[in-house]
Amino acid sequence: MSLPMHLRSYREKSRDEVTREFFNVPTQEAIPGPSDPPAISKIRGPGHREKEGRVMLQSMDINAVLSVEGKEEVYAGRLSLLPPFLCFISLDRRSCRCTLPLYTIRRVERLNSRAGVFALSLATWHGMRIILQLTSLLPTAEHFSILLRDALKAQLPSMKQLKPFLPSLYSEFLITAPTAGHTHAQTDHLLLGTELAEKSQAAAEGEGDLRGPGGHDKGAYERGLGETFGFPGDARKMRERSKMKLWREYFLVHGRNLTLLRYPPFQRLLQVGLPSRLRGELWEVMSGSVYLRFANPKTYSLLLSTNAGKSSQSTDEIEKDLNRSLPEYKAYQTEEGLAKLRRVLVAYSFRNPELGYCQALNIVVAGLLIYMSEDQAFWLLEVLCDRILPGYYSPSMEGTLLDQRVFEAVVGRCLPMIKDHFAEVDVQLSVASLPWFLSLYINSMPLIFAFRIVDCVLAMGVKVLFQIGLAVLKINGEALLEVTDDGMFINLMRTYFSTIGDSAHPNHPDPRVRAITNFQELLVVAFREFNVITDETIQSERKRLRAVISDEIEKFSKRAAVRNLKAVGRFDKDQIGIIYDHYFSAVCSEEAGASANPLKPGDQFDQPRIQVDAQGRVETRIDLRTFKVFLSEIATWAREETVTTNAFIQRTEKKVADHEMIDRLFYSWDKQSQGTLSLQDVVLGLDTVISAGLMESIEWFFNLHDKNKDGYLTKDEVIQLSESLLFIFRNEPGDVYLAAVSKFILNAYEFGDATAPQSSVPSPEDRVPINGEGETASESRHRSNSTAGPHNLPYLNLATFRMVVLADELLEGFFGNDLPASFQLGRMEEEDYHQHHQKPEGILGGLMNLVVTNENKNRLNRLADGFGAALGKHAEWRKPSLNKTIPSSPNLDLGTRESLLVPGQNPGRARSPSGASQNSTASSGHGTPETRSLADVEARYREESEMVRQAQEAILHRPNFAIDAIGDSDGEDEGGEDDTGVMDEVSRRQKTIHDEYELIDIQVEAFLKAHGDDDEGLKGEQKKVAEDLMKAEPMGGGKIKASGSAGSNLVDL
Amino acid sequence: MASEEAPVKAVQVKLVLLGEAAVGKSSLVLRFCSNDFNENTSPTIGAAFLTQKCRLENRIVKFEIWDTAGQERFHSLAPMYYRNAAAAVVVYDITKAASLEKAKAWVKELQRQANPNIVIALVGNKLDLVSDGPAKSVDEPAEATTDAEGDDSTPPPPSTTAQPSSSDSDDLRQVSTAEAETYAKESSLLFFEASAKTGANVSELFTEIAKTIPMESLAPKPAQGAAAAGGRGGRQEQGRGENVQLGEGQQAKKGGCC
Ligand SMILES: Nc1nc2c(ncn2[C@@H]2O[C@H](COP(=O)(O)OP(=O)(O)OP(=O)(O)O)[C@@H](O)[C@H]2O)c(=O)[nH]1
Ligand SMILES: [Mg+2]
Repeated sequence: MSLPMHLRSYREKSRDEVTREFFNVPTQEAIPGPSDPPAISKIRGPGHREKEGRVMLQSMDINAVLSVEGKEEVYAGRLSLLPPFLCFISLDRRSCRCTLPLYTIRRVERLNSRAGVFALSLATWHGMRIILQLTSLLPTAEHFSILLRDALKAQLPSMKQLKPFLPSLYSEFLITAPTAGHTHAQTDHLLLGTELAEKSQAAAEGEGDLRGPGGHDKGAYERGLGETFGFPGDARKMRERSKMKLWREYFLVHGRNLTLLRYPPFQRLLQVGLPSRLRGELWEVMSGSVYLRFANPKTYSLLLSTNAGKSSQSTDEIEKDLNRSLPEYKAYQTEEGLAKLRRVLVAYSFRNPELGYCQALNIVVAGLLIYMSEDQAFWLLEVLCDRILPGYYSPSMEGTLLDQRVFEAVVGRCLPMIKDHFAEVDVQLSVASLPWFLSLYINSMPLIFAFRIVDCVLAMGVKVLFQIGLAVLKINGEALLEVTDDGMFINLMRTYFSTIGDSAHPNHPDPRVRAITNFQELLVVAFREFNVITDETIQSERKRLRAVISDEIEKFSKRAAVRNLKAVGRFDKDQIGIIYDHYFSAVCSEEAGASANPLKPGDQFDQPRIQVDAQGRVETRIDLRTFKVFLSEIATWAREETVTTNAFIQRTEKKVADHEMIDRLFYSWDKQSQGTLSLQDVVLGLDTVISAGLMESIEWFFNLHDKNKDGYLTKDEVIQLSESLLFIFRNEPGDVYLAAVSKFILNAYEFGDATAPQSSVPSPEDRVPINGEGETASESRHRSNSTAGPHNLPYLNLATFRMVVLADELLEGFFGNDLPASFQLGRMEEEDYHQHHQKPEGILGGLMNLVVTNENKNRLNRLADGFGAALGKHAEWRKPSLNKTIPSSPNLDLGTRESLLVPGQNPGRARSPSGASQNSTASSGHGTPETRSLADVEARYREESEMVRQAQEAILHRPNFAIDAIGDSDGEDEGGEDDTGVMDEVSRRQKTIHDEYELIDIQVEAFLKAHGDDDEGLKGEQKKVAEDLMKAEPMGGGKIKASGSAGSNLVDL
Repeated sequence: MASEEAPVKAVQVKLVLLGEAAVGKSSLVLRFCSNDFNENTSPTIGAAFLTQKCRLENRIVKFEIWDTAGQERFHSLAPMYYRNAAAAVVVYDITKAASLEKAKAWVKELQRQANPNIVIALVGNKLDLVSDGPAKSVDEPAEATTDAEGDDSTPPPPSTTAQPSSSDSDDLRQVSTAEAETYAKESSLLFFEASAKTGANVSELFTEIAKTIPMESLAPKPAQGAAAAGGRGGRQEQGRGENVQLGEGQQAKKGGCC
């Protein structure tokens, strides 16, 4: 049984989140401050929860032009302040982008420049000077710079951590290690090509032999298993040395690791495959996992130490797979390699217990660990699971299923012939494509190629998986059209992948063309022909198909859950289905704390909602709180239904009731004393109560209150039982029920004294009749406690209890009919899954539906109540629980019951012991419709229009729209972006043809030299301005020194 | 019968392997298809596909084998693979009681959800770990460590036979032959204990399935009568299925059906 919870609670991402995702930066909540205690368990559900005492810094977007000192190019684009990051993307969304953590910015100055130009100069930690012209309107630019300044100040503590952190990155070693001087750059390519040369050079210089062991004593950087066991592939064939040299040069100009800018050469260097030694670092930089590692330096080791020795279903599953993770790689034949793999997987399973462990992660992590340290791989794993491949590895794998569906959809669009053919021969794409996506192609093709795809996925996101998949199908298109069954399809794919390193044109006369491999062809097709698949395509397809998938998963899990029940009592399949629906809607409900209840770190280990049963099935169990929500849906008396009418709407609000009786029910259904209930427990529990006859009802109710299960109620328990009855009757109109309970207590004591075991017979004075004058049962208990003997001794047995009940016609009717009937398995209405049981009716009902958030709904309700009260038309009353069923029970008649009342007892208004219905008020005639005068109607009309206006205002002030409002203030960019989008598309097409050659050309150096500086930058006027700015002086005066410390974060705005 | 003897055309049979993770599904397939064994395989992601022919006296059966992933969360993908399957091999690990429970759940699902004529074989794998000396000593250390890690937290295996059977000489065995066999009989399953490692009973398993499959059910339009006669009729663990051959006289169907 998988868990459909997150499916139902899915919410579209906010704009801020989308932007953050694009730039691979975590949300503010996910980044603890340097002084915060390390967050060991996962922060679940983005947004929502704000940390106490933490000010959330504002995000903002602005149009800007970026240039870098020492580089010709100037790019117009969009600058986003996403505290604590500053991000930029050029208008074409590919030439230039960067994500700068604010703690890497040493100094910000406003430049003294021509009128109307608002420009900032940023100096980064690595000595790069970036000029940003804010080209939006001046006030907007000023506002932006103020926000930037505040965000920078907030990062001062983090700056101190930068220095100790940087040595963990290989690029620092590459650039700064004393032996890796500039001199070797010239000799490098001269010597390149001979094994001997490489070796001798490795010995002479810091860069080292890329394949062999060693490197332990060279620098403190985080390293993967490859440094010890050798990296996959032939370093010479892969041109590792020259790639490394090119990256080194790139870093010198464009910044490195945390301050890396992506300029066009970056893309090319990426697509020819990252050099093994630099790969781990670039992976974490490109994916943004490095920011998490930076912000959470202790988490990984703490996770391991706090969970040392613990085992779980996940750790068992991990253990099974350790020997089955890239076993062909040497390190995974040794204890060292396996131990690393185990630690990362186990640590993550404790970090994210809801996800735990999913097969395929072992392969992915085994791949990562070749290039990364444990700490690095751990954080990259988190980013993969959370952001890059959301829901891929979760217990229901909904992300995988969804993306398979999305893949089918894009194949349908891009390769309709294949799609049609597959439909005709009834072959499903996902039989082949599912493992591609799930293990990032690592298990599908030889490692050296698979890792190049991983390079691109981490740099450009999940769309790469789709583009590659499409290209694979396209390249094999002709053969695929011959496929007639799944088997042929799989075999064809397998053959293709096994020959992916072979020449794509083995018979071509030109050796240059012959040298092109299938893999290179694959990349070219993927990135040239399928660049139409963008993040937006995937997002919108996901959005379109998500509901379908959720539905399927829910149906599947429901079927499986029902099938897996060992006993279903007297319920039929439909009824079980209904119970299942209620059960899961309770799990998902907010009252049960699905999202509202912030778990303290470690909580989920103590009180698991989700458990794994003996067969490894993920089993959802509900705690008491969730049970109350569940029961309130099923048992009429387990909820408070307040009907409110005012002049405009009548609505019924349901609230979960609370009483010890419900707790008792929970614990009595918890047969294994786990403190939680499974669906099975609930089904069997309901079975005992719902189809019980008179005698059975009496029995379970008796047992419910017999705490020690000795077959006797003590006196206290008799009182508690009476309280339970009063609780159930609390909202019934009239006094009959109260009277019946009073009589019950009297009779119980009378019969009880006669029948109780000798030892517990009290003195006769102890029988204190409840005279009913405003005295509650608990008060009376208190009194009787004080006056007489033992209250905790066996007193009333089942037979006696039964007798007492049957002596009263009302109670007999209650146990025989009303109590079983109070459990109702009504069909759930779909909307109840998501909404909050409010059925707006009347004139404002439509408006109600527009007011989307609950908060606003409540606000509107209060508003309406206010008006209603002013008009004297506000009324509220509690819906009775049982009276719906009384008329339908023929053997019960109010009149005869009244006659059974003990004369002289005249109980007052019921106050249930819990006080739950204290506020049950009834005013102004129970909301009966009233006739109105014309004046009334007119007055009402006026009030209504006022309300509509107010409600509209409320809608406008919904917090979600705040961002839109800011976006609108510098309006003109929306349309502008579209135009340039088209232009950009044209130039992109021209450009990609260009790129194609570069891609094919494995002579990396050659193309870098040739195309170093000709990329789409700005020309003319703007470029001129940018050049001027390079020389501009900072504005004098008003320097704000943000830091007194050596951090030297100077903010001059 | 005589007509199809000479130009025997292979009949395609879609077969799916199901069972808990690491019980040895892929290993059984590897043994059957390549007569090979590998201590360190990869866990199956989604599913793997292999084919192998199986020669009977009077026909050739070409198995198209879908080897599925065992982890519970891949469960929702399983219907994609067992859809249209003519045979299913449900595997458990005789050294892990819980894996038989999982196997039972699979059987239940197949009987409700899959092709009604499907032939199901229950297979207890890793026989080498319990029967005789040589294989046992090799694998014991590895098995022992995993067990030790899991023992304290995993809920106790539901099987009642775990304790008694472990008292005799094969201390690793957690599922007795009798228990599984009884269950298989009750549910009309073929039953084998096998070892992918030594190859014991592996080809027997597939041959038996090949014999048991009612050929009519493989035709595009399943012939109900004949299918009922042969289908689910696999109660002959010892009888080596002479009786099943009866219904196969009429199977003059061409191969490529799936
Ligand atoms: N001793 C012994 N070990 C076996 C046997 N069959 C499989 N194994 C081992 O059990 C482990 C799991 O085998 P797999 O075949 O990968 O298991 P699987 O059922 O395919 O697992 P998933 O693909 O994860 O569902 C491997 O380490 C095998 O070497 C067997 O007959 N005897
Ligand atoms: Mg497998």
